[in-house]
Amino acid sequence: MSKLIDRIIPDPVRCITGISAYEAEGGFRALKKAARAGPDFVIEEIVRAGLRGRGGAGFPTGRKWAAVAEDTATPKYIICNADEGEPGTFKDRLILEKNPFLLIEGMALAAFTVKAGVGYIYLRGEYPALFHLLEDVIAQCRKKGYIGPDFMGTGADLELYVHRGAGAYICGEETAMIESLEGKRGQPRSRPPYTVNYGYMGKPTLASNVETFANVPIILNIGAESYSKIGSPESPGPKLFSVSGDVVRPGVYELPMGVPLSEIIYEHCGGIKGGRALKAVIPGGVSTAVLRSDDLACRMDFTSKCEGSMGIIGSGAVIVFDEETCMVHTAYRIAKFFAHESCGKCTPCREGTDWIRAILLRMEQGLGVEDDIRLLREVCGNIAGNSFCALGDSAAISTIGFLDKFGDEFEAHIKGKTCPFGGPV
Amino acid sequence: MDQVELTINGKKVKAPRTSSILKAALDNGIYIPKLCWDRRLTPYGGCRLCLVEMEGQRKLFASCSTPVKDGMEINTESDRIARARKSVLELLLVNHPLDCPICDKAGECELQDLAFKYGPSASRFKGERKQAPEVTTAPLLERNPNRCILCGKCVRICGEHQGVGAIDLIGRGYDTEVSPAFEESLDCEFCGQCVDVCPVGALGSKPFRFRSRAWYMEEKNTVCPYCGCGCTVTLGISEGKIIRSVGTDGVGLSKGDLCGRGRFGVDYVHSDKRLTKPLIRKDGKLQEATWEEATAYISENLKAVIDSSGPEAVGAIGSQRCTVEDNYMLQKFMREAVGTNNIDSLAALGYSKAQKGIKQAFGLDTLPIDYNSPLTSDSILVVESDITSTHPVWGLKLYAALRDFGATLTVIDPKLTKLSRHASEWLRNTPGTAVAVLNGMMRTILDEGIHDKDAESHPGFAELKSKLEEYTPEKVEGLTGIHPDRLKDAARKFAAAERPLACMTLGANENNKSTDTVLATANLLMLVGAGADALEIPAELTNTIGMFEAGIRPDAGPSHTPLEKPGLGLVEMFYGENSPVKAMFIMGENPVVSFPQAEVVEGTLKGLDLLVVQDLMLSDTAKLAHVVLPAASWGEKEGTVVGASGQPQKVIKCIEQTGESVPDWQIFRNLARFMQKDTGLGTLESLQQEIEGKVSFEFDSSKATPQFNPVDLTMAEETDKEYPLKMVTGNLMQHSGSLTTLSKGLESVVSDAIVQMNKADAKVLEIGDEGYIKVASRRGEITLKAKVTDEVPEGMLYVPSHFPHARVHLLTYPSANGAVSIVAVKVEKA
Ligand SMILES: Cc1cc2nc3c(=O)[nH]c(=O)nc-3n(C[C@H](O)[C@H](O)[C@H](O)COP(=O)(O)O)c2cc1C
Ligand code: SF4
Ligand code: SF4
Ligand code: SF4
Ligand code: FES
Repeated sequence: MSKLIDRIIPDPVRCITGISAYEAEGGFRALKKAARAGPDFVIEEIVRAGLRGRGGAGFPTGRKWAAVAEDTATPKYIICNADEGEPGTFKDRLILEKNPFLLIEGMALAAFTVKAGVGYIYLRGEYPALFHLLEDVIAQCRKKGYIGPDFMGTGADLELYVHRGAGAYICGEETAMIESLEGKRGQPRSRPPYTVNYGYMGKPTLASNVETFANVPIILNIGAESYSKIGSPESPGPKLFSVSGDVVRPGVYELPMGVPLSEIIYEHCGGIKGGRALKAVIPGGVSTAVLRSDDLACRMDFTSKCEGSMGIIGSGAVIVFDEETCMVHTAYRIAKFFAHESCGKCTPCREGTDWIRAILLRMEQGLGVEDDIRLLREVCGNIAGNSFCALGDSAAISTIGFLDKFGDEFEAHIKGKTCPFGGPV
Repeated sequence: MDQVELTINGKKVKAPRTSSILKAALDNGIYIPKLCWDRRLTPYGGCRLCLVEMEGQRKLFASCSTPVKDGMEINTESDRIARARKSVLELLLVNHPLDCPICDKAGECELQDLAFKYGPSASRFKGERKQAPEVTTAPLLERNPNRCILCGKCVRICGEHQGVGAIDLIGRGYDTEVSPAFEESLDCEFCGQCVDVCPVGALGSKPFRFRSRAWYMEEKNTVCPYCGCGCTVTLGISEGKIIRSVGTDGVGLSKGDLCGRGRFGVDYVHSDKRLTKPLIRKDGKLQEATWEEATAYISENLKAVIDSSGPEAVGAIGSQRCTVEDNYMLQKFMREAVGTNNIDSLAALGYSKAQKGIKQAFGLDTLPIDYNSPLTSDSILVVESDITSTHPVWGLKLYAALRDFGATLTVIDPKLTKLSRHASEWLRNTPGTAVAVLNGMMRTILDEGIHDKDAESHPGFAELKSKLEEYTPEKVEGLTGIHPDRLKDAARKFAAAERPLACMTLGANENNKSTDTVLATANLLMLVGAGADALEIPAELTNTIGMFEAGIRPDAGPSHTPLEKPGLGLVEMFYGENSPVKAMFIMGENPVVSFPQAEVVEGTLKGLDLLVVQDLMLSDTAKLAHVVLPAASWGEKEGTVVGASGQPQKVIKCIEQTGESVPDWQIFRNLARFMQKDTGLGTLESLQQEIEGKVSFEFDSSKATPQFNPVDLTMAEETDKEYPLKMVTGNLMQHSGSLTTLSKGLESVVSDAIVQMNKADAKVLEIGDEGYIKVASRRGEITLKAKVTDEVPEGMLYVPSHFPHARVHLLTYPSANGAVSIVAVKVEKA
């Protein structure tokens, strides 16, 4: 029994969906260790490991756990964000398919540490097969006493429920997710109060991404010391990258944080399909700004920035476009996504995203006018920073990114009154 | 409260720690534009107009949803802010229909005002205008989705504030819309609060549609004519007519809240059924006459009665809807000009029962409610009362206590009401058995020794203790259907409360409670260490308390001054075997419809030598009169009203009197003059001066002298094999007495008398929803439409008694003593 889980997905081929297989791989050893060492130890280890949330914002996980643990209100809840709505992101799905017990172990650790009795897994509606798989996995864990009343003799209880989303991207935003869980319309809430103190049903709630939970058993298994040495010093640990688009080998890659973008594309994914040249990369899901081929040296972690853009890693969804892709069309498709997914709560995003969409569409159709680029920038400027939640900001960041990096293509569309790449849509 | 200090636009201001920046600014006279904020609602942060700058921060903050902090430095105006606001407005206007010329909101539309303030948009985005059709299928309310700016206020006032949740936003992003559930038809309370909060013309009041441009309308504040809440209504007056009624933020007791009655029900003053001339019965028919003729007729016939049978043969009924001045003059005329104390009102069967209980328990004549008390209470007990129907706006305080202040709400009620639905604990008892529930709770409290030990020194403690012996949890379960565990649990929690509060209503048509219910409630409060100020019984109507203070009682004069020779009360006058009354004055009341046991009432009235009715219309009672006098209505006269909170409020004259109608007090003044018994009170001023000298309207609950009054559960009538069902009578939220049936607006919501009955009972009798049924009691039979529901439990019928044509009171009976007067009935398919 010397085996320890030290990777999120130990085996890219096999699905570990039987509890004995997971135990044989070294499963639940972190939980046992925590049960002996106590909640304070778990929080200390996560803090020392330097784990940051994998849902996109990179918030220090240890601080979140500590905040929920410290709140004296009861009951408390934990929520796993498995909504995975960001286009290009499909890494949580892989965890759930290949190594679902790791998530449950992470959630059991959380429940024990923050003293939450009930947990929810908010599952992307488009993953129906995973719903049944998770229900089965939970049942197995309960039967073996890894969760349930007084699990593993820790005195803590945990009941886990899987809740299926209904296909709204905004419900991945944690406060909208909580509203949705409460049976309300999925719209983000004002903060403060923050989720850690006023979350589900107004009670202290720990909400984290699937991959974040999955990292915790690894930290306890290999120790905070060794964990913090993986990847970048400011954002250590392993990271799953979902790579899609015009690469030879798209897929999910488990690599240390801080890996250069060029290494992901050219070493791990085998470069661009058909030997074509790379034109653009969206590094961290459609909420991040697009990069050009000369930006590829940047490192993929929470602190590094590329010239002219905000954070780049986002959810770790790398989308690669080759030289034949029309950037106006790409910008339009993304804008259409945001306009469609805007929840409608705040004016700038609700009205503004639809305007971005409409302007980009007419450009792509060759109907753009001289002033449209300035107009686009102005609309984006009025959304960014003024919208209620990050969705509106993301829509603006995305569009501005395309204008900044590929302004010439937009001008060509306007001047030529048609799409040079054979559009319109 | 915990205060912080911050700087707004260079000015140092203080604000409670829980305040938002926006609220702190407004409270200090600094204006910040806003479209989705309302004082009553949790901040939303959606419209983004309230953006402000914060020192040291790069981005702009939505001031409505950002809490204040010590030392914060805020700037509310700058070029950058103006640009951001202008852009928000621009985005809102892109798809807005801009049909201001035909929009009822124009002139008082917040969007219009802001667009004006921030300059016209160049409208660089040329957008398609939304083209959704108007939704006009619901009564009273209409919706124009194209004008909606999705501020969400209507949704939140309905869900959060009213506790209803009839509408929500559906769809996403640009396609978001306000809609009832599943886009079905609107099923709500019709309070109309959503119309008031809508900043634009997306929600409208149908009766107001196209009635007037905002700028042609004169606005006046006065007090609502209906229930005891005493809300302030802002009337819109145009061309001598009241064309709408709205609430105004922060004004009056109600601070801008109104229920459907106050908002949609005031059109009754313009009913085409209003009387315009006096009527005298000639040749068996009521015929138009002059005031001189009518006055002469009354004077002559009144004298004849007095001469032959003495002043004791004259009686009068005052009105809780008329002003203090009207009622004072009535009793002055009766006591001084006629010489009789036979003066009473319908409240004898309602609030008067509460007053009797209050007097016995606390030695007080009058106990107004403390309007905001629910907000400081940690445990509220509601005793078989649908308070959000009888007193909708005050009822909101109970809901707010639960929602915002963490109070526990325990509701004893067989009926599913808004309060029982939201309650922390709903004790669903057998109808009318609250006394037993309360006794059971007290017994538990005594058994467990968790009562207030000081209470043992109140008189009656020993008697209470021995009375409660028999109320074992098991016996109480038998009487009330409440499980012993839940009873005990409720008792323990109530006893543990720091500031307990017990609330109930006692309207004249509520037959499920009586004086005993009040006494039992008072006993419980005293037992847990609370006093008179923990008992909240809102008086029924707009001037119920004012009417009593004015001296409308057979046994006391103004300010409850005891009389040497008390007169006859309502029960003796109307139902007494050998009532000596031969002449009767009825002011603003409709006994044929509103008094129990209608057949007897009619008999009594028909047997009179002289019946004078002062009313707005030819009521069923007026039809029996010898003389009918047209009275000026609310809105047509000045005066004072004192509702549930005990605070005198002025009602004002907003429109001219209808036809030849005159205020009720003037009718008595003129009559006295004619009879050469001038009261010396010629003007309203002199009348008000005299009242001021006699009635103080100051009520002090600290003078209470608590005393236990042990009571048993007594039912005036029991069910049996033949009459197996319990008929409870009461109110609908959209109606008040029979007055509201004159309102076209309210009649469009509910105009048909219905009887609610449980599914199981209906099934046995093969009665379908909306089917007609015959309901018979030991006194009579009527036909009503059935509403099959689980809102009432098995064995219970609930019947609102507002509708004259339904004649519900053919089945009922009066009960002025302590017993509950639920009616035993049987039902069959009609
Ligand atoms: C529009 C929007 C969509 C989001 N979608 C997701 C999502 O699908 N999955 C996720 O884990 N986090 C998502 N997030 C981030 C969450 O709000 C939250 O920050 C995250 O779940 C916190 O978990 P972590 O601390 O483990 O990163 C989204 C945020 C926004 C603003
Ligand atoms: S930015 Fe506003 S409209 Fe967009 S998703 Fe967030 S809250 Fe909803
Ligand atoms: S109908 Fe009026 S109140 Fe309701 S969301 Fe639209 S604009 Fe706001
Ligand atoms: S609550 Fe009462 S006083 Fe207020 S508006 Fe309604 S009926 Fe009028
Ligand atoms: S008032 Fe603050 S966002 Fe609407």
